[in-house]
Amino acid sequence: MEKIIEIKNLSKVYKNGRGIMDINIDIHKGDIFGFLGPNGAGKTTAMKVMTGLIKPDSGDVKIFGHSIVDEYEKAMTKVGCIIETAESYLYLTAFENLKQVSRYYKDIDDNRIHEVLELTGLLKYKNEKPRKFSLGMKQRLGIAAAILSRPEVIILDEPLNGLDVEGMISMRNIIKDLVEKENATFFISSHLIHDVELTCNQIGVLYNGKMLNTDTMKNILNNYATLENYFVSEVERNARI
Amino acid sequence: MLEFKAALTNEIEKLYKRKKIIVAMVISLIFIIIGQLSMVVLRTGFGLRGVSSMDFPILVLSVVVNTILPLFTALVTIESFSGEFSQNTMKIALTRPISRLKFFTAKLTAIIIFIIANLLFVMIFSILAGCLFNSNSFTLLSVLRVLLSYIVTLLPMVILSIIIVFFTNIIRSGIGVFFMSILVFVTFKGLGIIFYRYSGMFFTSMMNWYSLFIMDTIPTFKIFLQFMMMLSYGIIFFTAGYYIFEKKEF
Repeated sequence: MEKIIEIKNLSKVYKNGRGIMDINIDIHKGDIFGFLGPNGAGKTTAMKVMTGLIKPDSGDVKIFGHSIVDEYEKAMTKVGCIIETAESYLYLTAFENLKQVSRYYKDIDDNRIHEVLELTGLLKYKNEKPRKFSLGMKQRLGIAAAILSRPEVIILDEPLNGLDVEGMISMRNIIKDLVEKENATFFISSHLIHDVELTCNQIGVLYNGKMLNTDTMKNILNNYATLENYFVSEVERNARI
Repeated sequence: MLEFKAALTNEIEKLYKRKKIIVAMVISLIFIIIGQLSMVVLRTGFGLRGVSSMDFPILVLSVVVNTILPLFTALVTIESFSGEFSQNTMKIALTRPISRLKFFTAKLTAIIIFIIANLLFVMIFSILAGCLFNSNSFTLLSVLRVLLSYIVTLLPMVILSIIIVFFTNIIRSGIGVFFMSILVFVTFKGLGIIFYRYSGMFFTSMMNWYSLFIMDTIPTFKIFLQFMMMLSYGIIFFTAGYYIFEKKEF
């Protein structure tokens, strides 16, 4: 199967000694990769490096064969993402925020903006400014911006932050729809392990900046009752080491 | 080029929606009105001649070039960089398919467009006010002198914004950048007075370089020297500012 994201010997260590060390991950077309790890394990750092917000100390990330370090524009052409928090310009309306994003891509017109606003349940708030939005609504706007350009790779850092139950279900459906209909590839980090179990088909566990294991969800559930059991056992085993 | 165009359009839209342009225009207009009122008071109250219609825009420029023009240039530059750093909105554009160089240049270009708009606005309204309230001295040459003065003032303002962009990249807080800019501006002005023989080296003395263009005998070599000095400032601070921006972690 076609390799979409290739993370090779990726390291980024901050002055305080935390960060990521020598990470290697391959993600193939159509994968929904769940990136798990305790707080401070380095998930966001890895995702920031993947999207060019941070330069790595060593190693590289290739998306569609293009290096994020050397060919940033080409690597990011088919990528949509939310990193850390879904940000928006508070003085622009929801529609204007998406219009800003749309200008970076060809063939993204106002109809597509309306389509993603409808998909994320924000259509009736399109002329409101995010200043008045709840956390969940801001998150929905972030998701709308991430999928606006019909990306083939979507990188989401804690996409369910602040979403209500209805929002979580609709987010799960959006992910599954994009994988089934457009064969999109997802890279998702989340603390909501139950949701990861329901959504993802590949799992990677990061602990203290090092990659512990990657496996398919099918294999994990063959050996453990739940993903939570697998995660706890992996983390505890390595904490002992 | 599509990416640069997109970033530039976005930056102009953001500038417009933040209403900074409107505030700048209104305050510029107030400046022109106050200037014109003082002229009327001087003329009627004290019997002084004041200025003729085509001298008035130059008089206005000599005041705004050391006051509101650098002030608004600083505010817009700080908002565009420091404001976005602190609100964490820089990553909205940086995670799109655009290189940091294109994005950085687009931001700077939007600020330059703002400066052009501000200069154009002040020029048009000061010409109008000058023609309406003062003795007429309207000649094609005088209009050209006004036009030239305003056009060449763009360069020192652009250099100022490039220097402030550099500050925004080394100082985290927007207020810190603002005070740093004022401190540097005042210090350089002071140094220019104390060490007047070397004042040509300080960029603050270049704010008034438009006056070289409206002299009876144009000092070409002095203009060339000041131009090269400003170009050097521009290249050094653009490179330094971009270098830090490129390395910045979001």
